[in-house]
Amino acid sequence: MAALPADARVLDLPVTARRRSGPDAWILELGLPEAWPRLRPGRFAMLAPADGRGPFIPRPFSIYSQPAPDRLDFLIQVLGPGTRALAALREGETCTATVPLGNGFEVQPPERPVVLVAGGVGSAPFLLYLEERAAAGAAERTWFFYGARSADRLYDRERFEAVGSPVRCSTEDGSLGFAGRVLDDLAGALDRGEVPEEARFAACGPEGLLHAFAAFARERGLDAELSLETYMGCGVGVCNACPTPTDPEGPWGDWPWVKTCVDGPVMPLRAIRF
Amino acid sequence: MSSGLLTSAVGSLELRSPLLTGSGTFGHDPAAALRFLGPEDLGAHVLKTVTPRPRTGNPPPRLVETPAGLLNSIGLENRGLAWFLEEVAPQHREAPWPVVGNAGGESVEEFVEVVAAFGAEPALAAIEINLSCPNVQGGALPFSTSPEAVGEVVAACRAATDKPLWAKLSPNVTRIAPLARAAEEAGADALTVCNTLLGLVVDWRRRRPALGQGMGGLSGPAIRPVALRLVWECRQAVGLPIVASGGVSSAEDVLQFLVAGASAVQVGSYCFRRPDGIRRIAGDLRRLLAEEGCRVRELVGSLRWPGGGAAGGGEG
Ligand SMILES: Cc1cc2nc3c(=O)[nH]c(=O)nc-3n(C[C@H](O)[C@H](O)[C@H](O)COP(=O)(O)OP(=O)(O)OC[C@H]3O[C@@H](n4cnc5c(N)ncnc54)[C@H](O)[C@@H]3O)c2cc1C
Ligand SMILES: Cc1cc2nc3c(=O)[nH]c(=O)nc-3n(C[C@H](O)[C@H](O)[C@H](O)COP(=O)(O)O)c2cc1C
Ligand code: FES
Repeated sequence: MAALPADARVLDLPVTARRRSGPDAWILELGLPEAWPRLRPGRFAMLAPADGRGPFIPRPFSIYSQPAPDRLDFLIQVLGPGTRALAALREGETCTATVPLGNGFEVQPPERPVVLVAGGVGSAPFLLYLEERAAAGAAERTWFFYGARSADRLYDRERFEAVGSPVRCSTEDGSLGFAGRVLDDLAGALDRGEVPEEARFAACGPEGLLHAFAAFARERGLDAELSLETYMGCGVGVCNACPTPTDPEGPWGDWPWVKTCVDGPVMPLRAIRF
Repeated sequence: MSSGLLTSAVGSLELRSPLLTGSGTFGHDPAAALRFLGPEDLGAHVLKTVTPRPRTGNPPPRLVETPAGLLNSIGLENRGLAWFLEEVAPQHREAPWPVVGNAGGESVEEFVEVVAAFGAEPALAAIEINLSCPNVQGGALPFSTSPEAVGEVVAACRAATDKPLWAKLSPNVTRIAPLARAAEEAGADALTVCNTLLGLVVDWRRRRPALGQGMGGLSGPAIRPVALRLVWECRQAVGLPIVASGGVSSAEDVLQFLVAGASAVQVGSYCFRRPDGIRRIAGDLRRLLAEEGCRVRELVGSLRWPGGGAAGGGEG
């Protein structure tokens, strides 16, 4: 059982910039009161407009990038009332953020290959991951499989490509890259030996993709982590609203659940039932 | 001086602030309270319910949002009394505020088992007994609704401890006064009024309840007027101190509960909106009290009812 991260805090932060990405997403940049160190990729924030607009409880979002030491970016796809209220925040308005939360992806040694798999806005935690790998000199041992329904939902594709690792795009409508599902592209690449099976795999995206990825990774015996998008109440481990079922044979097998917000959101596949 | 504005007491338990956490909304351990709240702001940390044996809780989804609130069916997930005493309670011994244990059970014996152990635990300053969780047996436990059962469990718990004993009553009743009186006569030191309101959200496309367990408990601003009415009814029915719980998300809300008769006010679901919510409300409360030129203690129970008589109905 993990605890609340030592650096988590509640901040009322000004929106310093916002820009559109794709047909239905926004990048919200928030200004921090001071410079922060680089954050572990895969951590998240609970966000809500400070003036009480929008639903009663805040919503969880991956930390997308740190464009400057005193800035945080979030990539937000508009789905319902919570994301709509956040996307409507203008420059100069205030967003309440409880941040940084969760554990983040496990650090891999630079010599170990890493394969990242995202569907749509599930790409959000991977920009920091790609940047961290590049900074460690491991860009060419890192692959990013980026899938979406259509090319315009490969949010910020150029920004991911600019980091320097190979980015393999796939679209279900064939409008860009591999035509089909991202997992079919990954399966082909593994079969042809274009990416190594002994890599660390990490996936993030809609529940359907994560379920398919979990089955795929188990079938092939891949060493994988999932970044889960469970519905949350508090985000700080106090409400028990975010259970992820554990594998009774796995390292957390003494209890049927862990808390996704503090024990995750990134979890080793072998530890959970998913 | 400004800190004196907020002091209050629930019976013999002195509080630096009338603001408490609500059971189940600020965890079992002290980590989040220590991180996000200060001792000037938090009057007491009320912990999540502990039952004699581990309870794995209800299947997900456990929480769904509703207009101005949320419906939950956590199902009292906790690793049981032995775990609490060994691993959690010691972490609270240095807490900068009083800590209130919350005891749950499905029989009189189970309540007594937890209350007796809490009574012997030095970390706990008071004990709240959860007579009102709607997420156990569909809220059908007799402790929620029967004055006889409330009297029986409170009397048995009273005999098991000398610590201040708070009876947390259910709002899911036609009349709360008989339950309040039963708790008072059985020896409770205070009442916590109230808990979540039993509710249902349907995912009509799947023809299923939105929550994994079916029904859940409604909390948040949506229930505040109901909780206020219940506090006022209890205020008139008994002489016990009242701890309010239900829908507080601002200092103005707190003031309403104090005036209606509460000596302390729990802030539950609002802590999800912002974990430092109690600190923020305490700041606003100090400012409002200074403007109004009065202290918390002077406001408690100061409600003047129209016509001067007892509470009137008024529905319809
Ligand atoms: C750790 C974590 C990180 C996340 N990172 C991002 C991110 O970087 N960018 C981003 O756009 N989204 C992210 N999400 C998902 C985001 O939190 C949800 O899309 C958001 O809560 C939806 O809120 P809403 O009020 O707009 O929609 P709602 O009305 O609450 O929901 C709209 C639809 O989305 C579904 N939904 C609601 N909440 C979730 C959820 N948590 N996960 C999956 N489906 C959900 C609902 O069932 C419904 O079908 C993340 C979620 C988690 C738990
Ligand atoms: C997620 C959640 C879990 C709760 N768990 C408990 C619990 O374990 N024991 C208890 O006595 N009350 C529990 N409650 C009830 C709260 O303590 C409080 O009485 C209720 O939510 C109303 O207050 P609020 O509107 O401020 O949240 C829970 C409430 C919520 C929202
Ligand atoms: S969201 Fe509250 S415990 Fe995880």
